[in-house]
Amino acid sequence: MSVYRRGLVSRLVEGLRYGGGAGQWSWLLHRITGLGILLYLVVHIWDTFLVIFSPASYDAIMGFYGGKIHGVEYPLLRWAFRLGELGLFASVVFHAVNGLRVILFDLSPIRAVGAQKELFWAVVALFFFIMIPVTFIVIHALVAEPTPVAAAIVFPRNFVQAFVH
Amino acid sequence: MAVTARSRRVKPAGGFELAAWYFMRISGLFLVFLALGHLCIMHLIHNVESINYNFVSDRWTNPQTGYIWRLWDLTMVNLAILHGFNGLRQILEEWINRAKSRVVLRTGIWIFAGALLLLGNYAILMFVKDADYLKNRRDASSDAVTVRADVDRGASSRHPAAVPAFDVLK
Amino acid sequence: MSMRTLTVRIKRYVPERDRSPRWEEFKVEADPHDRVLDVIQKVKWDQDETIGLRRSCAHGVCGSDAMRINGVNRLACKVLIKSLPSDVLTLEPILGLPVIKDLIVDMKPFFDHYKSVLPYLINDDPPPTTERLQSPEERARFDDTTRCILCACCTAACPPFWGDNKYVGPAAIVNAHRFIFDSRDRGAAERLDILNDTEGVWRCRTVFNCTNACPREIKVTQAIQEVKQALLTGEVDTHSVVNIHQET
Repeated sequence: MSVYRRGLVSRLVEGLRYGGGAGQWSWLLHRITGLGILLYLVVHIWDTFLVIFSPASYDAIMGFYGGKIHGVEYPLLRWAFRLGELGLFASVVFHAVNGLRVILFDLSPIRAVGAQKELFWAVVALFFFIMIPVTFIVIHALVAEPTPVAAAIVFPRNFVQAFVH
Repeated sequence: MAVTARSRRVKPAGGFELAAWYFMRISGLFLVFLALGHLCIMHLIHNVESINYNFVSDRWTNPQTGYIWRLWDLTMVNLAILHGFNGLRQILEEWINRAKSRVVLRTGIWIFAGALLLLGNYAILMFVKDADYLKNRRDASSDAVTVRADVDRGASSRHPAAVPAFDVLK
Repeated sequence: MSMRTLTVRIKRYVPERDRSPRWEEFKVEADPHDRVLDVIQKVKWDQDETIGLRRSCAHGVCGSDAMRINGVNRLACKVLIKSLPSDVLTLEPILGLPVIKDLIVDMKPFFDHYKSVLPYLINDDPPPTTERLQSPEERARFDDTTRCILCACCTAACPPFWGDNKYVGPAAIVNAHRFIFDSRDRGAAERLDILNDTEGVWRCRTVFNCTNACPREIKVTQAIQEVKQALLTGEVDTHSVVNIHQET
């Protein structure tokens, strides 16, 4: 008698079709953001290694991340990198906040586990609470015309820059 | 009616998976502060477009604060690599079930992670400022101002405080 | 309430005929008070007698008719037609176990995991002259996990189990919990050792699909987290902190 065993791809696809709730979505997002951050980490260690190996290449790479190739700026490239930067920021923020939710389940098997749905919405709320100002600041750097609201962020930032680097 | 004690003690377990579980929680808590702090400093307080060799070399060799930033980066890079690659191992082992494949997988992951650990630690610990490069670069960029004045003015007006801030500290 | 015309989509796999599962559709008149199990039986009796499914008591106790109903694991005998949001009813075998035929899966791996956690009382102390006594609080400590009917709804809803069917799975951990926290049992250390394995509790990623799928409303994730905590602290609390009189 032959039974039907699912292959790797089929198991992945069928798993995604399962009607899981908030827990399954945060599990999936935790994985995807984790893998994304790891990929970035590998690239980032390589490019930072260039500071010791070849300062000129390091500056060239940093310029490239800023949308410049040989000192010439390509606005589309620059926007793409800034959106990627936002994606990275969002990934780290979600992975961190959801990681705290997972740790709470370990610390409190009864109360935190019982409140898992509420905790999921707390993660979502905290994520947007952090990401909305972050998006504003990152996108602001791309916009030429400063606005009064932006100035309120930029002025104290210039002050802090003197001490934190 | 005396029955039994309220709780029993058994030997706390050890083992690799338990240690890995502990490590993921503790490193995760550290990384919440280290990685998010790093992102805030580099992307919000500063701006990725203002980060260059000059910035990094000043950051790591500043006589007052250089050691703090190197220690921060060192802790972060080591915890992040181990946390990330252990996470990758856990994900892949979930989908790759054969014992032999898992051995290959683990070996590959730890060799790759080990190589990255070496690169990261070496860069942070052994960094020395390349003064010649910075001098040449300043000369070259002062030429560039005359050649592409429009481009450079655009760049400096976007990040006015990036370079002068360090002059204040030095 | 009036009769509803349902479109029943069943994922069929007949080993003599199919190389892989495929969808088949049936139209059937259903009473809103019918259960999904009644609808499947109606299709089987009136339209296609070759449809394969497991069922026994049909009252949510034996745990044999676990299947994926509209995307989630449920017992077919516990889902009422009036609770369906639309007139399309999709039925699939549960995930993570080999499909023998249509909605019937091979439960052997599932029961092997169940057996691996020693799901029986272990106590080599000399037998007392009367019963082994237990206070109501001690009984309440593991009451939740005594309710498992081994239907596999939880284990087959668990993403780590879909990928790795060597993972012991939520149902086996629930049944280990039932004995680990029993004050009369002496096998906690042995079971905890088994669950400390690579394929033990550490595979749990707190996805909560198990808790949402359990037809007996067992707090599966909580049980798993309690086992993890016992492994970490070495302390097995056999006394319920919950007021037992609040329990239904």
